Amino acid sequence: MKNKDRISYNSFFYIIFAPALLLVLFLTAYPLGTVLHDSFFRYDFITGAKDYIGFQNYIRIAGDELFQRSFRNTLVFTFFASVLEVFFGVLLAFLLYGSFKGKKAASLIIIFPMIISTMVICAVWQIFYHYEIGLFNYVLRNIGMQPVGWLTDQRIALYSIILVDIWQWTPFTFLIIQAGMSSIPYELFEAARIDGAKKTQIARTITLPILSTQILLVLMLRTLDTFRLFDKVYALTGGGPANSTQTLSFYIYREGFSFFNFGRASAASVITLFFVAFLAMFYLRRLLREDD
Amino acid sequence: MHQFRLIIKRMLFWMILLSFLGLILIPIYWMLNTSLKNPREVISSVPTFFPHDPTLENYGKVFQAGIWRNFFNTVMVSFSATLISILLAFLASYALVRYRFPFSINKLFLIWVLAVRILPPIVLAVPLFNIFNAVGLINSLSGLVVAFQIYTLPYSIWIIYGFLKALPIEFEEAATLDGASPLRVLVSVVAPLVRTGVIATSIFALILAWNEFMFALLFVRTPRLLTLPVVISRYIGEYSTQWGELMAIGLLASLPILLFSNFVYRQLTEGFSMSLK
Repeated sequence: MKNKDRISYNSFFYIIFAPALLLVLFLTAYPLGTVLHDSFFRYDFITGAKDYIGFQNYIRIAGDELFQRSFRNTLVFTFFASVLEVFFGVLLAFLLYGSFKGKKAASLIIIFPMIISTMVICAVWQIFYHYEIGLFNYVLRNIGMQPVGWLTDQRIALYSIILVDIWQWTPFTFLIIQAGMSSIPYELFEAARIDGAKKTQIARTITLPILSTQILLVLMLRTLDTFRLFDKVYALTGGGPANSTQTLSFYIYREGFSFFNFGRASAASVITLFFVAFLAMFYLRRLLREDD
Repeated sequence: MHQFRLIIKRMLFWMILLSFLGLILIPIYWMLNTSLKNPREVISSVPTFFPHDPTLENYGKVFQAGIWRNFFNTVMVSFSATLISILLAFLASYALVRYRFPFSINKLFLIWVLAVRILPPIVLAVPLFNIFNAVGLINSLSGLVVAFQIYTLPYSIWIIYGFLKALPIEFEEAATLDGASPLRVLVSVVAPLVRTGVIATSIFALILAWNEFMFALLFVRTPRLLTLPVVISRYIGEYSTQWGELMAIGLLASLPILLFSNFVYRQLTEGFSMSLK
């Protein structure tokens, strides 16, 4: 190739790569740099003055009971929601394995929750959970039990939100596991059946081990997604009652957008980022080991 | 005896399956049911499973309140965000697959994009708000289109990258030998080959953008400019919630996606089984 051609060939690739690169850097690298920087400063919202205060923001947050509470709630939510979603997803995938009449219609219905807007879902569940006019308490009253404050009882509210998340995202884990299942060669089952293995045996000794990578992958995706919980808390409880549904994302939102405590919001963000990175590494190391 | 056990098994299977489907369909049915009730029936302490006096009153009120405007905003923002993401992701992924940038930028960029996909977006919200404010992107739909790229662009890049990576290079080489320029190769050889993959990816991105809530809540304040999810959240937050109207909006916001769910399902399953390989 001639020199001039070479240059125009190279510049073609630089030109088509540049827009995405610049946009991603503008939207993420610069804000993250700002967050890291601001976490070491006291920011006066009214005068706009910034004072360097070292790790003060971090120390204040670590001692903040609300932050500890948010962290704990986030962990509880992440753990129960992601594990149960994967569990039900696997269950559904096994249930729908093999062919039967109406399989396509059933799969179609199953994906409804994951394509509807979270806000719409929250609206419906808000009615279900309503103390007076809700379906749940109506059923409880009919079978002679005390009505429950699904979103107003501080021991229960977080679990009520977990239930909504399970309803919304089990379809996603189902889809991925189902895609993984369909990649298992049929001959494996035939061979096992000829050897006289029972259905449950086949599921335990052949299907599940082959699926373990997929299960781990989808568990990782759900863990990282549930860790950022914000929308449902905003719509269903607003962090209450008595902060029992405060999460890390919600804590950052309140510090940043309600109290304009940019320094503390940034410090909380940095801590959250470290934890997310830790979670991601934890899963990725396992996933990569499975690949070998 | 054997026959009998088979029938029992069948029945058990259908019972479990139908109860799962019931759990999924009841909330969606409840939305329709409530949206057709009059305000008095909605707040009765004995929930009715059918509207006793079906009315379209709620839909009328919602349209009078100008929901078209918000519907239109949502359409504009989500389609523009998807279009931009797909275009940029396609161009960038092609460069990443076929060209080696210095300083292992290829690898670093892909890892960075994956990291963006997993970080909680609220972390970016505070600094981005200040940046957007400085450049006049707050309280504007174009600002939302830009902000939504945080979700849609990483997603699109990863999936389209996978599709392009699986593409054999021979077609492009043949076209280059025939004297086609790189741009020509990209437009008339590569693009048609990955068309299905790109369509599947757009569906993902479109659903993400259509349902996005956080940035839409934080970056837009003017009622005229709100998107549907934020309108819904405002209804939920009201002191005496208009449940019937809320459900009517919810159904209207879900209808476009539910109507195409057959198509969406096909694209989703194809997309997943491709990206797992």
